[in-house]
Amino acid sequence: MSAYGVDPCEKCEEMMQDYLDRELTEAEMREAESHLDTCSYCRRRYRFEVSLRRYIRTAANEQMPVGLKQKLAALRIELQ
Amino acid sequence: MSEPTSAQTRRLAEEARDRVRFEEEALELSDQVYRVARHLVGSREAAEDLVQETYVRAFRSWQQYTPGTNLRAWLLRILTNLNIDRGRRQQRTPQTASLDEKGDYYLYDKLEEREGGPLDEERVIERLSQDSIVDALAHVPHDFRDVLVLVDIGEFSYADTAQILDIPIGTVMSRLHRGRRILKGELAEEVTK
Repeated sequence: MSAYGVDPCEKCEEMMQDYLDRELTEAEMREAESHLDTCSYCRRRYRFEVSLRRYIRTAANEQMPVGLKQKLAALRIELQ
Repeated sequence: MSEPTSAQTRRLAEEARDRVRFEEEALELSDQVYRVARHLVGSREAAEDLVQETYVRAFRSWQQYTPGTNLRAWLLRILTNLNIDRGRRQQRTPQTASLDEKGDYYLYDKLEEREGGPLDEERVIERLSQDSIVDALAHVPHDFRDVLVLVDIGEFSYADTAQILDIPIGTVMSRLHRGRRILKGELAEEVTK
C-alpha cells in the first residue's frame, strides 16, 4: 500500500481490461496512461495483454468449412 | 388509383426483391456467423449444424428483420437462442475447476516465473499454440464463454452482446471480465503442464 492508501499497480491491474476495451472515462484513461508511462512492471503486462487478445482473435479465426456456404445458399431454394 | 391486381403484383415483386437482398446479405455474413458458432459449441460438426439451423430460421422469418439494423447481431441472436434452447451446449466442460478464477496478470506471471525473468511478450505468445487457445476457450463455462466469444472473437460491442444474449450490459461486462480471467487461468494450466 502506498501513502495514498492504494497500490498504483493494483489499481492499474483493476483498470487494465476496461482500458483495453476503451471503456474508461477520459480522466481514468489519463490516469492509466500516466501510470503505464512510468511503470515498466505494468507496461510489460499491458503489452502482453494486447498481444494475447490479438493472438486469441487470430487463433480462433477458423475458416468456414468448404461447402457450408453452398449448403446455406441451397436452403433458400428449398424453403421457397 | 391503380388497379388492385397490378398493385398486388408490384407488392409481390418488391417483396421478392427485398427477400433476395436479405438472403444475399445474410449469406455474405455466414463466415463471420460460423466463426462465432465454432467457439460456442464443441465441434466443427455441431457448429455447422447450428449455422444451418440458424439460416433456416432466418430465411423463414426474414420479414421480422428490420432493414438497416445490425443483421449480424440479428443472426447471432437466432443462433445463441437456438444453442441455448436446444441444449446443444458442450457437455464436456468441467464447470467447477474453471471457476477457480485467477487475477488478470496470472498468466503473465506464470509465464514469467517459468522463463525466470521478464518476458518478450510477442515471443512468449507465439509459444501458445492455436490448439491450446481453442481448447482453453472450450473449457470456459458457457455463460462466460458466450460473452467472451461474442466480444473478443465476434467483435461485438457490449451493447450488441447484451441484446444478442438478452442480458443487462452490466452482466456482459462482469461475465466478460471473469471469462477472460478464467481463459487465462486455463491457458496458464496448458503452458505450465
